[in-house]
Amino acid sequence: MKIIVHDLQQQEFAGWVDDPNAELTVLSDNDTIRQCMGCFGCWTKTPGVCVIKDGYQNIGELLSKCDELIIISKCMYGSYSPFILNVLNRSISYMLPYFVTKNGETHHRNRYDHQFALSVHFYGHDITEAEMGTARTLVAANSMNLYSIGNKVYFHNSLQNVKEAVL
Amino acid sequence: MKIAMINGSPKPVKSNSALMLKTLDPLISTGNELTYYNINKRPLTIEQYCELCRMDTLIIAFPLYVDGIPSHLFRMLVALEEFMRVEREQEIYVYTIINNGFFEGRQNHIALEIMRNWCTRCGLHFGQGLGQGAGEMMGFLEKVPLGQGPLKNLGKAMESLAHNIHSRSMDESMLFSPNFPRFAWRFSATHSFWNATAKKNGLKKKDMLKRL
Repeated sequence: MKIIVHDLQQQEFAGWVDDPNAELTVLSDNDTIRQCMGCFGCWTKTPGVCVIKDGYQNIGELLSKCDELIIISKCMYGSYSPFILNVLNRSISYMLPYFVTKNGETHHRNRYDHQFALSVHFYGHDITEAEMGTARTLVAANSMNLYSIGNKVYFHNSLQNVKEAVL
Repeated sequence: MKIAMINGSPKPVKSNSALMLKTLDPLISTGNELTYYNINKRPLTIEQYCELCRMDTLIIAFPLYVDGIPSHLFRMLVALEEFMRVEREQEIYVYTIINNGFFEGRQNHIALEIMRNWCTRCGLHFGQGLGQGAGEMMGFLEKVPLGQGPLKNLGKAMESLAHNIHSRSMDESMLFSPNFPRFAWRFSATHSFWNATAKKNGLKKKDMLKRL
């Protein structure tokens, strides 16, 4: 399964995906997502599932069935935009709370043996060099923590360019 | 000076970010007016955003989330950028205190870069950032005097931060771990925190490992 997580408006994304039979899940902002509250319930109360039942509680499980994760985000200060961050914050049940040491640093143990490919498409018309550098470092760190099969980072100055690159 | 103490933790109660601000408070309170802001339950009001634009200094404490900034705090920063563009009239210095769940405080370096980039966009001065590893330990060390035992590094960093806040200086950021062996931290986090919390919730270790 392929997952696209994007922060575009519904009308901006309309028509991007034509094939209803494709094995594709799209996560987008419908203004109902709630913030992670740091309760660790997805690790110690209902392992694997977030305790906030707002339709975004199963992101960890979704990732376990994903072969390719594509993130489309406005680049803001070298970070993802708020909605993409919100989805990532709510996805930590994909990992276990327990720790491993990789390259001399602590990380979470993986809950699933599964791995997915990660590509991130940042867009924005005035992204600075510093912000691009930060964004590349951020995605690489996420890739390490999510056990993804590598990571690819792209920067686009228009949504049309994103669409051409993603589809 | 007017100083905003912004708690960027999403936790409803007992956040490590609040502890960090509480630790810093007595080191900078003399001669300064400190105002606290919480964004864990509801967003800031327009009046509060305007107040922040009239501060001399912003101190933003938050936990590292997925190598970056928690989404609710990020939403606030995005909104504050717009207010800063319109409302700000004086020079503002920003200092950040980040705590992360992993042992190594150096893993906070990306979030610090993001904060620095945010300051550049807003036209604010990024003064200094602290990054404390093993943040979840802080709640268990409340009775340990700052600068002693496992809080030795934090004590030095807080002194440096307080000095820079007082003098409105910019300085190298400080990323550090507690003065405590990593293996002992890991053992204690695994057994006394994760497994103990799960047990209180009626779960066994095999339940924690559940795959869906």
